Amino acid sequence: MTDRLNRRGFLAASLATGGLVLAAPGALRAATGGTLRFGLSAYPPSFDMWASTGTAAATVKLMIHRGLLGYDDKGQLTGELAESWDVDKDGVWTFKLRKATWHDGSPVTSADVKYSIEQMAAPDSTAYYRGQMGTITKIDTPDDLTVKLTTKAPTATIPVWFAHYNMPILKKGEPRTSTLGAGPFKFVKAERGQKISVTAYDKFYRQGEPKVKGIDAIVYSDENLRVAALEAGDVDIIEYVPWAAMDRIEKNGKLKLDTVPGPFMYLTFNGSKPPFDNPLVRQAVAIAIKRSDVVAAAFYGHGAPLNHLPIDKSSPYYNADLADSWKYDMQKAKDLLAKAGHPNGFSCTMLSTAQYGMHQQTAEVSQAYLSMIGINVKLDLPDWSTRVEKGNKGEYDIAVMGTAADSNDPDGLATVLDGSQGPSFNRSYKLPTPEITKLLQQGRETFDKDARKKIYHEMEAQVMKTVPAVFLCSRSQGYGLAENVAGFVNLPGQLTFYSGLTLSETALG
Amino acid sequence: MARYIGQRVLVALVLIWLVSTLVFMVLHLVPGDPAELLLASGNTAPDPQAVAQLRTEMGLDRPLMVQYASYLAGIVHGDFGVSLRDGTPVAQQLMLRLPRTLELVVAATLIASVLGIPLGTLAAIRGGGLADRLVSLLASLALSTPVFVVGTGLILLFAQKLGWISAGGYVPFAQDPLRHLALLLMPAGTIALSLWAIVVRMTRASVLEVLERDFVRTARAKGLGRRRILRRHVVRNAMVPVITVIGLQMGTLLGSTVLIEYVFNWPGLSGYLVSAVEARDYPEVVGIVLTISIVFVLINLIVDIAYAVLDPRVKLAA
Repeated sequence: MTDRLNRRGFLAASLATGGLVLAAPGALRAATGGTLRFGLSAYPPSFDMWASTGTAAATVKLMIHRGLLGYDDKGQLTGELAESWDVDKDGVWTFKLRKATWHDGSPVTSADVKYSIEQMAAPDSTAYYRGQMGTITKIDTPDDLTVKLTTKAPTATIPVWFAHYNMPILKKGEPRTSTLGAGPFKFVKAERGQKISVTAYDKFYRQGEPKVKGIDAIVYSDENLRVAALEAGDVDIIEYVPWAAMDRIEKNGKLKLDTVPGPFMYLTFNGSKPPFDNPLVRQAVAIAIKRSDVVAAAFYGHGAPLNHLPIDKSSPYYNADLADSWKYDMQKAKDLLAKAGHPNGFSCTMLSTAQYGMHQQTAEVSQAYLSMIGINVKLDLPDWSTRVEKGNKGEYDIAVMGTAADSNDPDGLATVLDGSQGPSFNRSYKLPTPEITKLLQQGRETFDKDARKKIYHEMEAQVMKTVPAVFLCSRSQGYGLAENVAGFVNLPGQLTFYSGLTLSETALG
Repeated sequence: MARYIGQRVLVALVLIWLVSTLVFMVLHLVPGDPAELLLASGNTAPDPQAVAQLRTEMGLDRPLMVQYASYLAGIVHGDFGVSLRDGTPVAQQLMLRLPRTLELVVAATLIASVLGIPLGTLAAIRGGGLADRLVSLLASLALSTPVFVVGTGLILLFAQKLGWISAGGYVPFAQDPLRHLALLLMPAGTIALSLWAIVVRMTRASVLEVLERDFVRTARAKGLGRRRILRRHVVRNAMVPVITVIGLQMGTLLGSTVLIEYVFNWPGLSGYLVSAVEARDYPEVVGIVLTISIVFVLINLIVDIAYAVLDPRVKLAA
């Protein structure tokens, strides 16, 4: 074959290949026809609806499923499958269901709710809220549309739990991977690793919703390609806009950028051994790092320094008097170290990951600042999976983490702060926090808003003093939208990963 | 020939067994727990009991040797197992994704050969001339530009600036042939570029060498036309090393199209491998590596046989 090709043949062949592209622009692009194309950052690792399977999975869950409660555009709790909810003086919660139907047409009943809660609490459960559901001691279903929940101790956070995206109600008898939902979109098909298609459910309980014919959720793992796909018009919405591309999207007249300050970066400690078992050393770390440099290096300026708990100014639980507790003060940090018995500093390893730029850059900035107070940090930057395991096993001295709280309620921070919950990569290792644990429990059992505010104020003061983690900055979490997309809202604060809730109101103009 | 192939297959089987055992063992030595990773996907702390339950469901609570034995028994029966993450049969995913990567590699090889062999020959017969220097310069440039730079550049130009084509993606051929080929063009072209450079250099060197041979002089002396000498004698003889290199490159490409598949969102084998490794999805990783080694061995076998076809002097002696 090869020896028959001469120069003329070669020219003809290359012209033909080039011609294919030149002849066909436009025709080679995908057509939409009322279907919203959503650029996901990952394919859901599994369809286990009650397990925590990440942001992309949450968005897909919220297309198909609904929980008892949800959030409106302002981030206020709102009824989804439940129309109203209330608690009596004994702490028994009553949920009144609305007349919703499953995608197979059958009605959503209290039996489905009971089944879902029981499955989540069952011994073979892999549910994210397995422990929480275990505190529900009795589920009464006096009629088809009423559910009454009795808990071990009175629990004020029940509505917040039932609004979580990992808490969809599934139809009685369905497996935990069920794609038969009661949400705005019906599951059509999944091409593993690439794409999930859903179509509008015409009997969704909210009149006039959903507003698009369906959604194609297409996976773009590479963040730069995800942006390129939005710019090229291949998709209408993308999640997880990389920080480096935020300015560019904002300046593009055909695109919109919707960001909220929500998820946050922080440092965790190994509390099982010196030197970080000493609160003085942790206090020194807390005031030794200039937060604005972390924001600049890791997030291209798209974030905000955090010298306190990640509770937004707009929250009723924000404490202005504690906001600057961890203000940068190198001299004071040095004094604290000396007081702790390390006048000449010490050496330690910092665990982070080279897989995600924001984790690595946060580690590098922290390393530089800690060296200024005499702490010689050696970075350990394995892949993410190894980092998770090392974190769980406490194979580090100090570590970099990033996450979002479960909700905007201060109780949503329990998973990051509560040392009694057992070892996990997303909180400090074997660092007891008896006062914080006690206050968190009090907060859960307290229904009066002002009393709760006082409890969480005290808790934040405890965190500032005992430093179970060092919060560094919040980062802008962004969605990129084509200009003709309306109704999609990036929910405020820690709720940003719940934004899939608003897909039912999303329209293509 | 049959005996030769038989022996090669036997050696290949042993090699494949070694590779799969090695991958299985190394994978289990590397830190990272698939159950924990799956349930911690949102950077959240999973319930420890939920993790224990999932480990049991995944069969990871059994001793390593038991897991290895059951895995090996599966392989012998042609069963690659199921994904730890969502229970999808690994064989099914392999059947879906292997052809896509092969298509990418074959398309790239075709482009590289069709453009590389004639240009390499041209450079050789014009040795030292303008054409030679131009081709050599282009080849150096192509070889030294990383694939992700070329890939990203193509996307920037054709998708973002000109808006001619989607920024990567994949459509099955049966669904839309034209769009399928259009989407294939950029990733295949990107891979082809560096492969082309290798083919050009190899062809040029090889043709130059053959041109010096006595039989070429003889052919010229007996009055054969330039064109005929080039086609019948020079290029054909010069092809043996070129084919070897192309074959080896194809094998290597199978496992190294990762960046290209990632940059262009091409749902092939290597993208699948990366996500499986990240999730520590043991059956998937082993299944993919096994498949790649089988194909690699096969390609080498085909290259060996191609020698004999091209050059009757090569005897396939055992």
